[in-house]
Amino acid sequence: MEERVNALRQRVARELESASTTEEVEAVRRRYLGRKGELTQLLRSLPQLSPPQRVAAGAALNELKEWLEERLQERADQLRARERDDRLRAEAVDVTLPGRRPLVGREHVLGRMMEEIRDIFRSMGFEVVEGPELETEEFNFRRLNIPDDHPARDAQDSFYLDDEHLLRTQCTAVDVRVMPHRTPPIRVVTVGRCYRRDVVDSTHMPVFHQVDGFMVGEGIRFSDLKGVLAEFARQLWGPETRVRFQPSYFPFTEPSAEIAVSFRGRWLEIGGCGMFHPRVLEMAGIDPERYTAFAFGCGVDRPAMVRYGIDDIRLFWENDVRFLAQF
Amino acid sequence: MELVDLPTPQDPAEWEERFSMLGLGVEAVEREGDDWVFDLETTTNRPDWLGLLGVAREVAAACRGRFRAPEVHLEESDPPAWEVAWVEVAGPGLCHRYVGRVVVDVRVGPSPPWMAERLERCGIRSINNVVDVTNYVMLETGQPLHAFDLDRLAGGGVVVRAARPGEVLVTLDGQERRLHPGALVIADRERVVALGGIMGGLDTEIRPETRRVLLESAWFHPVAVRRTARALGIRTEGSTRHERGGDPERARFAAARAAQLIQQLAGGRVLRGELDVCPDPQPPRRVSLRPARMRRVLGVDVADEEAADILQRLEFQVERGPDRWVVTVPSHRRDVEREEDLIEEVARIYGYDRVPETLPVEVMGVGALAPEVDAERRVRELLLRAGLTEVLTLSLIRADHLERVGIPPDHPLRRAIPLRNPLTQEHTHLRTTLLLSLVDVLRTNRARGNGDVHVFEVGRVFFASEAGWRERKAVGIAQMGRSLRGTWNLPQEAVQASFHGLKGVVEALLEGLHLQGWEIEAEPFPWLHPYRAAALRVNGRRVGWLGELHPEVCDRFDLRGRAYVAELELEPLVEAARAIPQYRPLAYTPAVERDLAVVVDSSVPAGEVVRVVRGVAGGLLEACEPFDVYTGPPVPPGRKSVAVRMRFRDPGRTLQSEEVDRLLERVRGALRDQLAASFR
Repeated sequence: MEERVNALRQRVARELESASTTEEVEAVRRRYLGRKGELTQLLRSLPQLSPPQRVAAGAALNELKEWLEERLQERADQLRARERDDRLRAEAVDVTLPGRRPLVGREHVLGRMMEEIRDIFRSMGFEVVEGPELETEEFNFRRLNIPDDHPARDAQDSFYLDDEHLLRTQCTAVDVRVMPHRTPPIRVVTVGRCYRRDVVDSTHMPVFHQVDGFMVGEGIRFSDLKGVLAEFARQLWGPETRVRFQPSYFPFTEPSAEIAVSFRGRWLEIGGCGMFHPRVLEMAGIDPERYTAFAFGCGVDRPAMVRYGIDDIRLFWENDVRFLAQF
Repeated sequence: MELVDLPTPQDPAEWEERFSMLGLGVEAVEREGDDWVFDLETTTNRPDWLGLLGVAREVAAACRGRFRAPEVHLEESDPPAWEVAWVEVAGPGLCHRYVGRVVVDVRVGPSPPWMAERLERCGIRSINNVVDVTNYVMLETGQPLHAFDLDRLAGGGVVVRAARPGEVLVTLDGQERRLHPGALVIADRERVVALGGIMGGLDTEIRPETRRVLLESAWFHPVAVRRTARALGIRTEGSTRHERGGDPERARFAAARAAQLIQQLAGGRVLRGELDVCPDPQPPRRVSLRPARMRRVLGVDVADEEAADILQRLEFQVERGPDRWVVTVPSHRRDVEREEDLIEEVARIYGYDRVPETLPVEVMGVGALAPEVDAERRVRELLLRAGLTEVLTLSLIRADHLERVGIPPDHPLRRAIPLRNPLTQEHTHLRTTLLLSLVDVLRTNRARGNGDVHVFEVGRVFFASEAGWRERKAVGIAQMGRSLRGTWNLPQEAVQASFHGLKGVVEALLEGLHLQGWEIEAEPFPWLHPYRAAALRVNGRRVGWLGELHPEVCDRFDLRGRAYVAELELEPLVEAARAIPQYRPLAYTPAVERDLAVVVDSSVPAGEVVRVVRGVAGGLLEACEPFDVYTGPPVPPGRKSVAVRMRFRDPGRTLQSEEVDRLLERVRGALRDQLAASFR
């Protein structure tokens, strides 16, 4: 009996060794442990043996059965792992092929800069508003202390629709539109399009953008104007930015200043500012004795050119997608 | 320095800094010979800076130097000027002061090189020694001068008056000018001989044979000069200066200085006395200044002493009272009219750079976005998230391009507002639609080989309504080419821009805005493919359109392929977006999904199938969406199969399969009855 068990053990070991699929392992199991399997048969024949023989043979056969079950399991696991691996290998992707890239929307570089500007002023307590691009001489000029026949009108050659209507030449018109409807303190800023009759070249377009704002209160000072604009400049141009205020002239501010910021070692003129002229406040129904106000207007397009290293203003308006994708 | 005594910086950069801190912008600095030439940009309120003397006076005041005006020593001869010539001013609002000088026995010839050179450095061509003197003195003093050949003036004198109907003048540049009635002119007894302050006449100009010269040094009314110059489309060194209104007192000085120079350079004798017509003399202006207010406005503690010193250096006279000073304005500073002007003068010379940077002490509020700003921002963000790139396009268009883009002549979008004074043929009207601008973006990109373009713009459009001119914001979308990159092995139709791709973007936008009550229905628009076009309606009102650009328009703009465009009004979309979205409870019970292949006539839109299903399925139907549309065998010709997936759910309990089967039977019945449907 012992010889038979040993022979069986060696045979099974060989067969398992040569089984190369889980199905073949299953066939081995059936051959020995199935209902008519060789080992099953042997176990079934035990009662025919004499008691002493039965004890010895039973122990040997059961030991062989346990061993066989373990081996079968082990071999099946081994082969299952290999088969799964084969299946997954067949699914290999070529990771070097390009990804399926969805469209990623990009802001226009000017749109993005204008949003930044809105956010900066909003964070400083300003209310962000808008006004019409189709303006009247009343708001575009007269309420800004630019009467008819004022030489300052030359510098702002305007597109007219008729005698009274024109495309706004600056966003300051929005200031004097909103002022009469509010009670100080007022902090308002607007960002939008303006129009001037400029011949198109690398630095001029008939349409451009401006940010314009003002602050009215009982104690608003020229020094506050400097402080607020310096803070704005540092937010937009970086914490090291210096701001220079130089005397200038605008009919609607007194004193008036031009603003320049230091950027990459150069002074970059970004706009004009000043204390609102008392007459402008009067025309807006605000008592200039009680209240003072500062106002400022800055370009967007040309500073954006410097900020992003763009050498031709027309690029903003062509909308070549290769340009748009760069920002 | 000829004109100022002060420690002179040698470095032009230092001068540049000094000029700009006074408000004189430096446009350019050039070296010419031994001289540095500064091109200064002056502001319109400072006519005194349009002469070198004015700039020198300012620099002297600011830098505590001494200003030295050139001295004038005239040797005058008999007879007195008024025996030889006459000057009149006829009419108000034309001329505030007219000073004439007469120089006789001149010999007209070339100017000496020093003068010709200096003029040329200032961009003025040397003509002859008399004319050059008038220009030279203008550059010095800012006072425009004119020299007449006295022998050519009929009646030996001039009158300043308004032009009469039909008058004509040939100006120095040889142009014949038809004068509008009221134009500011200088005339002799017979005819107009010059445009006052703008340009002289050819007939009375200084010639080689001229012997007797009448010099004009006048203060013309700025508005009169401006209107005349603009009406005739002329701008000269003289008109620019007159338009800004200079110092009425300098007219005499300039006339004398010019007479002396002419005598020096062209010989001759200056006749005794000046012809001085000053119809409307004005006393010096007095303005009050409260030093306390000055400090309050500036936010810097300028001492009384320093403020007074600054004003006095600028030649203001200061009478100091306890709270209020009375300041007398010098005649060359007519721009100073009220207290704020004086405050600016103090600040300017004190130095803007010495004013500290402070933050307002006013109670700070919280910043806010106006609703229309917020609305635009939301729309913009949703479209960016939908993968579109933002573009900015000009709001000025060529009106005939509206025709090119397929808008018929009688269409309301053709009623563009024209500019009265366009600058070029390219920009004559305000846009009524974003369509043209966006098609142009596609065209530009296509021409440069950029085939995949998916863009949007939120911009304003303008139109004429019965209530007048109006503007409103619109959202425009344009797409062409692939909407995905890395599309190897993918079927082209899945990745190319398409009607449904565009519709999906619009739907994503509307959903993102939480807009209710909208529908997209087939509707033709002349610029769109007639069978690939739709309108967007919100609560029944049409607020936009979308579709495939008409193939003919594509051809006209050389797009070489299909393009998809949409335009929506912004305002109706965002009204709903302003409400705060409210939570709807989530259902946790299982849903039952059923698919149904509905075979209907080919002409029945899928939306009809969905509408019928929704109509009968009742409240348990959570969703119903077509997922496959098929024609071809075994579906009979003329019919198509629309497969819809329905999801049923009751949030309160688990649905029984039999219940759903009964609902499905009702759906089948309704589809059979209403759409003659059969089922696969």
